[in-house]
Amino acid sequence: MELELRNLSCGYGERTVINSISFSINAGEVIGLLGANGCGKTTLIKTILGLQPVQGGEVLLDGKNIKNWSSAQIARVIGYIPQMHTPPFPFQVLDVVLMGRTAHIKPFASPAKKDVKIAQQALEMLNISYLQDRVYTEISGGERQLVLIARALAQEPRILIMDEPTASLDFGNQIKVLSHVKQLAGLNIAVLMSCHFPEHAFIYSNRAVLLNNGRILCNGTPDEAITSERLKTLYGIDVDIVTVKNRMNQDLRVCIPSRSLAEQDKSLQLIERRKEYALA
Amino acid sequence: METVVQRRISEVETKRDAGWKIIILLLTLILIFILSFALGRYPVPPGQLLEVLAARVLPLEPTWNATVETVIFQVRLPRILAAILVGAALSTAGAAYQGMFKNPLVSPDILGASAGAGFGAALGIYFSFSMLGIQLMAFAGGLLAVSLTYGISIRIRHDPMLALVLSGIMIGSLFTAAISCIKYIADPYDKLPAITFWLMGSLASITPRDVYMALTPILLGGILLYLLRWRLNVLAMGEEEARVLGINTKLMKTIVIVCCTLMTAASVSISGLIGWVGLVIPHLARMIVGPNYRVLLPASILLGGAYLLLVDDLARLLASMEIPLGILTALIGVPFFLYLLLNSKWGWK
Repeated sequence: MELELRNLSCGYGERTVINSISFSINAGEVIGLLGANGCGKTTLIKTILGLQPVQGGEVLLDGKNIKNWSSAQIARVIGYIPQMHTPPFPFQVLDVVLMGRTAHIKPFASPAKKDVKIAQQALEMLNISYLQDRVYTEISGGERQLVLIARALAQEPRILIMDEPTASLDFGNQIKVLSHVKQLAGLNIAVLMSCHFPEHAFIYSNRAVLLNNGRILCNGTPDEAITSERLKTLYGIDVDIVTVKNRMNQDLRVCIPSRSLAEQDKSLQLIERRKEYALA
Repeated sequence: METVVQRRISEVETKRDAGWKIIILLLTLILIFILSFALGRYPVPPGQLLEVLAARVLPLEPTWNATVETVIFQVRLPRILAAILVGAALSTAGAAYQGMFKNPLVSPDILGASAGAGFGAALGIYFSFSMLGIQLMAFAGGLLAVSLTYGISIRIRHDPMLALVLSGIMIGSLFTAAISCIKYIADPYDKLPAITFWLMGSLASITPRDVYMALTPILLGGILLYLLRWRLNVLAMGEEEARVLGINTKLMKTIVIVCCTLMTAASVSISGLIGWVGLVIPHLARMIVGPNYRVLLPASILLGGAYLLLVDDLARLLASMEIPLGILTALIGVPFFLYLLLNSKWGWK
């Protein structure tokens, strides 16, 4: 299964946020989508999911334009993992995962035994079977994110889209959730994930797509694509990328940010000036 | 291996648990149903009730006088059925709306159905229509108000749910003002009290025909919502998420609004304004069986029917004259709701 974006433009109303971009994702691949706040990552993701209208170009699944597909048709192929959230009602974890089966069951039906089995398998795959009977609103943020991944897996999708799946998770939970993402690619699922941190793209993706001002700045392997110059363009800060070894003797690339001395001087001057005003 | 077995057991238990709870709720409703015949100025004991009911199908010699039969079939049965019907309809509509609006504080009149129905009825009374005319006006008024709300909301370029609630509140206020207007110009000795009593809500003058009339829209809306109850769960996760999970949310929302409006308008048209049932009962049901609509909806139906029947029994028994039902549901519903808020984690744990 291949998801291809061909000259895709999208945005809100009259405003165009994403301007004629093209790239594709293949089964078994994890793409990390990088870009500053407001660069259009979320807009792009919503457009692929059919939540936002396409302004130009096309979204193709195995070469077929999905413009006129129903929500159920899309949901049977594309799974979506939102940022962590709290629903207003205390649903049981198993029920939340079963919601992933909705696109596969008839409008008037409820999930059957077969669906329960698929949901339980999804929980098992993420090693969270013990959460099955717990209340979704009462488990930790990291666990909730894993439950949402299980829900997306219960959809039996061939493409998974995640919008900053680790936003608002603590350090440990970020790593736990992301290590499962890599495992998903092993199931021959194509994964598109927008990332907060370039380091996540280094560790967990096969390819990085850098978005800048609604256009693609670079599309390549993380090592090639993510350079200090490009991070400067994307985020407007100076970053050094260094390779270090973790305790398992694996090479890891990490980003070390620094603000220029000139800028620091400027803020120091500002503080001085404010002090003077206060004295005067 | 052991964990798998344990999990299976716990799953079976939770399922069976909910099943038992539904059965207990059903038995409670049946008990209150039988009890309601035995209470009142002309009590019918359970044994006699069974005999009279059985005589409808079996060739039994009547051992009772004809008055008993009239009391049962012309007076008490229609009133009891109406109470169950209205209670169940308002609770179902409330439960469905609470999910759709992702807000446990929503009640069936959120889109103006009750205010519209009240306006229709007030207008009908003002023009001295027959009882049937007043009821039809009320029903039409409810549909009109919600249609206006919906029509306006889809023209507001904003969060669609917020647009719905906002226009619902405004249309509701508009129709409430229109009711005041009619009351102001109505004959103070004749029409004004009639309008006021109608708005307080009562099942005192229910006839078998009223029950038949309300039955069709309530069943239509109720059955459709019941069939779609799994999808109500998904809708409660939010509109965008529901779409991504494969639901045509535009269609689904329209169906929910149409069903709830049919049920609410039909209820109000035969009973007048009865508040708090549609807000409190789904809460109570959620505390008993949990938030999953697969069991929450049947629980709301049974609990709503039982609750309003019980309150209606109180309405006709507490004092020497009838107490308007709308007053009692508020007098009982509000303290109860406050109790829930104070004694549980926001009442929907």
